[in-house]
Amino acid sequence: MNKEELIIETENLQKKYITDTVETTALAGVDLKIKKGEFVAIMGPSGCGKSTLLNILGMLDSPSSGAFRFLGQDISKATERQRAKLRKENLGFVFQSFNLIDELTVEENIALPLAYLGVSKADTEKKAREAMERMGIAHRRNHFPQQLSGGQQQRAAIARATVSNPSLILADEPTGNLDSVHGREVMSLLSELNEAGTTVVMVTHSPSDAEYAHRIVNLFDGQIVTENLNVRRHATELL
Amino acid sequence: MLQNYFKIAIRNIVRNKVYSAINIVGLAIGISACILIFLYVQDELSYESHFDKADRIVRIASEIKNEGQIDRFALSPPVLAPNLIQDFPELEHVTQLLEAQKQTIWYKEKSFNEDNLLYADSSFFDIFNYEFIAGDPGTALHEPNTIVISETMAQKYFGSVDKALGEVLTFNPDLYHVTGVFRDKGHSHIKANAFLARSTFDRQRQDVLTGTNHWFNMNRYTYVLLKDTSQIQPFQDKLKAFVATHVTPWIKENNLNASMTFILQPLSSIHFDTVYRDDITPAGNINYVYIFAAVAVFLLLIASINYMNLTTARSAKRAKEVGLRKVVGAYRSQIISQFMGESLLITLVSVLLALALVQIMIPMFNTFTGKQFESGFFLQKEVLLALLAIVVFIGVVASSYPAIFLSGFKPVDVLKTDKAPKGGNAILRKTLVVVQFAISLIMIIGTIVVFNQMHFLKNRDLGFNKEQVLVIEIPFGDSTLIQQIPGIKHELLSNPNIEQVSNAQDIPAESLNNLLVFAEKDGKTLQNSMNVMFVDYDFIDAMGIELKEGRNYSKDYQTDLKGALVINEAAARKMEWQEPIGKRLELLDRDAKVIGVVKDFNVKSLHTNIEPIILALVLESPGYLLMRIKPQNMASTISFIENKWRSHYPKHPMEYFFMDEFFDKQYRAEEKMLTIFGYFAGLTIFIACLGLFGLASFTAEQRTKEIGIRKVLGSSVSGIVILLSMNFALLVLISIVLAIPIAWYGMNKWLQDFAYRVELSWWIFAVAGLGAMVIALLTISYQALKAAIADPVRALRSE
Ligand SMILES: Nc1ncnc2c1ncn2[C@@H]1O[C@H](COP(=O)(O)OP(=O)(O)OP(=O)(O)O)[C@@H](O)[C@H]1O
Ligand SMILES: [Mg+2]
Repeated sequence: MNKEELIIETENLQKKYITDTVETTALAGVDLKIKKGEFVAIMGPSGCGKSTLLNILGMLDSPSSGAFRFLGQDISKATERQRAKLRKENLGFVFQSFNLIDELTVEENIALPLAYLGVSKADTEKKAREAMERMGIAHRRNHFPQQLSGGQQQRAAIARATVSNPSLILADEPTGNLDSVHGREVMSLLSELNEAGTTVVMVTHSPSDAEYAHRIVNLFDGQIVTENLNVRRHATELL
Repeated sequence: MLQNYFKIAIRNIVRNKVYSAINIVGLAIGISACILIFLYVQDELSYESHFDKADRIVRIASEIKNEGQIDRFALSPPVLAPNLIQDFPELEHVTQLLEAQKQTIWYKEKSFNEDNLLYADSSFFDIFNYEFIAGDPGTALHEPNTIVISETMAQKYFGSVDKALGEVLTFNPDLYHVTGVFRDKGHSHIKANAFLARSTFDRQRQDVLTGTNHWFNMNRYTYVLLKDTSQIQPFQDKLKAFVATHVTPWIKENNLNASMTFILQPLSSIHFDTVYRDDITPAGNINYVYIFAAVAVFLLLIASINYMNLTTARSAKRAKEVGLRKVVGAYRSQIISQFMGESLLITLVSVLLALALVQIMIPMFNTFTGKQFESGFFLQKEVLLALLAIVVFIGVVASSYPAIFLSGFKPVDVLKTDKAPKGGNAILRKTLVVVQFAISLIMIIGTIVVFNQMHFLKNRDLGFNKEQVLVIEIPFGDSTLIQQIPGIKHELLSNPNIEQVSNAQDIPAESLNNLLVFAEKDGKTLQNSMNVMFVDYDFIDAMGIELKEGRNYSKDYQTDLKGALVINEAAARKMEWQEPIGKRLELLDRDAKVIGVVKDFNVKSLHTNIEPIILALVLESPGYLLMRIKPQNMASTISFIENKWRSHYPKHPMEYFFMDEFFDKQYRAEEKMLTIFGYFAGLTIFIACLGLFGLASFTAEQRTKEIGIRKVLGSSVSGIVILLSMNFALLVLISIVLAIPIAWYGMNKWLQDFAYRVELSWWIFAVAGLGAMVIALLTISYQALKAAIADPVRALRSE
């Protein structure tokens, strides 16, 4: 595999939580390589370390040991500030519970990442509008999150995650709180983004969601047990 | 970005109305109190600052040591001035002030009794640059019989400042030409309605003491202007040698058993220097300034604590927002500035509200401080700066803790649906609540102690009866007034409601004459300085002073006038006389025998102990007419007195007051402290309770589910109220334990200012503690009760 193409590369990634006297090993040596443009699904039983891994990949958390390179850059020693900078320039997050700011309207929520990037007012408006249109929620732009349905909230969250054109989208059970119709909608939005070139890493419990991915990584007790290429997806792509 | 912060801030304020109101109202009260106290303190500290040369002006005070006893005078002898001028070329100017008696001044048909008259020479204005509206300060007091008057006085006599110059004011028997009018402005220990040319006094009264080289003749205030501030210390040092060459030989020559020291008082320190007696105006107590400033800071602190506590307690609500902002790439510093901005906004709103509050409170504040602050005061540069400081203090200091705390949230932790952070550091919050209540309690205890002491001061037996004594002033300077005294006394006594009438030069609570006496002791003659009150035959009876041994003055003894003196027990003790009656005592022109000893009585405020006093007989004298009147029909008695006065003294306005009020005026500073303590104790406890109310509501909110489960399991409403209140009650209890020793220490120290004082009894602390506890519990129980009677099923479902 050509190194140039890797967006994420981990080696023997470990994460231990020490609470009082109990030590929990959430990740016990994960070696994972993700290429640019890939769509990877992470699956596994509850508590096996999926979210922990995703948070480390998203630089929201740091590993206890092991190497983690993002776009070839070693970030195990990056400061909080450097990580925040990498985050706002490259990453988009989608959560199971949407996580929109209640005090801001849909449009303001979506524009938030641009504000921290220092984008001009005119550009912000334009990009936010495009993102909303793409996600089909432009008509709800002045609503507050509580005034939207779950599916609409998640679409707003995806709009926020993508408004700054990140190279990587990390999604933790994005359909977990949605019914199957809205879940499928969100999944197709994610694969559209992926087809447009964005790398997507998604944690899911749902085998049908995993179908959208190129590759499925199975975690068990903090370790990767199997890595399967999604035959059907590859097959369709090959067609 | 700013716009985004602003929107969030506004929406948060509006959405959480109760918490916002608690914060804003609490801060506004704290800030307005701070503004008021700031004005007060600034005003108190502004003494003498309007004199351009203030830093180079010093007053020379005197200390006389006599057999281990030290007397400290703001005064100095007249002979000091010429000797200073001769010996110290570094002094740019030397001037002396001399107090004139209160007297009636006429202008055509108008007459007023004028107080605060000072003799000065023209060099006085070279040192103190009074602003002259009319006349020339350089020459104004050169000639004898000239007078420089205040703007107010000019208005009073002549209707306007322009007409004053060149007019003639009559003080019996002298005529004074108005040569200047000065503007009343700024605060100074030199309180003057007018300055009279001192040459007039010197010409008139070439009396024994002023003319000679008498170094213990304390009747002048001596001020010098140095060329440079750096000369103050060297000058002070050189005064030792000065005393050795001039004063010590004189003391030896006169066989006096005493020593003298001159002390320099920088002008700016005079107002708060309480050490020296007989100052022109009574010194202020700097401790009160400190106390008031501390009180204001405490109030602001308590309000800021509310802000910190409510913000961190409710941080769970903001945690998600913080996490998300970080997820999309916010730096911690950006989040800190967001929260600081938010508290700046709240502070700003509070400041605006505070300014409105101050506007409303200014008139009331003026009445109880006796100051004249105007409503446009906050346009002053100093006040605006102080406001800015307050805004920054709260906006930055009070908000930094919540801001740092909130910005420290890790998105991984706060975005988990099932694991929101518990509202901040509960221990710190509890500590702050304890601090708040401890401060409130200290204020409450302080108020009770001050109140108690005031009650004690006003009701203590002084050794004379101050109740029902009406006092009329008989101005100095008009000898015809005195001739009328026997007549008016006689006529007044014809009214059955007037029990006694006495004429005296001195009364309690007025500054007394401190005179040299020569007393017989074991065949030798000792020199002492003693307080002397000049009174008539009826004074002792009229004032209800008890005779202990010997007899009172009597008209039956011709010799009483020059050959007899009555003293008090303390005076006998001071002279160490076992049997005072018959002992020889020389005073001024009297060579007398002690004929009576009266029981000790307090002539001064109860800050000080009983002092030795000689009651010397005078027949008729200017000063006061004292009347003991019956409480019945006071109004008609007073109008009777007024009629009599008018018929005897048609040209003199009658001015009267009551002895008890006059005496109690000495406690004005304490009275002021009581008022301020009272109000502020109320405010502190109110703001502390506001905070407690907010916290209780937060706790109730947080524990809704627990309360629901307990109710389902059969807990009673009272059980739940107790459960919710216990924690807070414990905090209040801790604050009581903390506050009591601090309050005890502080109030004990305060009481040391009084020679006579109340005991700090345990019930004061019990009442205050219990009171605070009850108020706190009432505050909490509202929230607790609300939570306890809520429908448990709804509470559970909402989770
Ligand atoms: N902050 C923490 N402190 C202590 N232990 C933690 C913490 N976060 C996670 N863990 C533990 O680490 C392990 C992995 O947790 P993680 O959240 O990654 O699981 P998951 O695979 O995402 O599970 P789920 O499918 O239920 O979301 C679990 O055993 C969990 O208890
Ligand atoms: Mg998970």
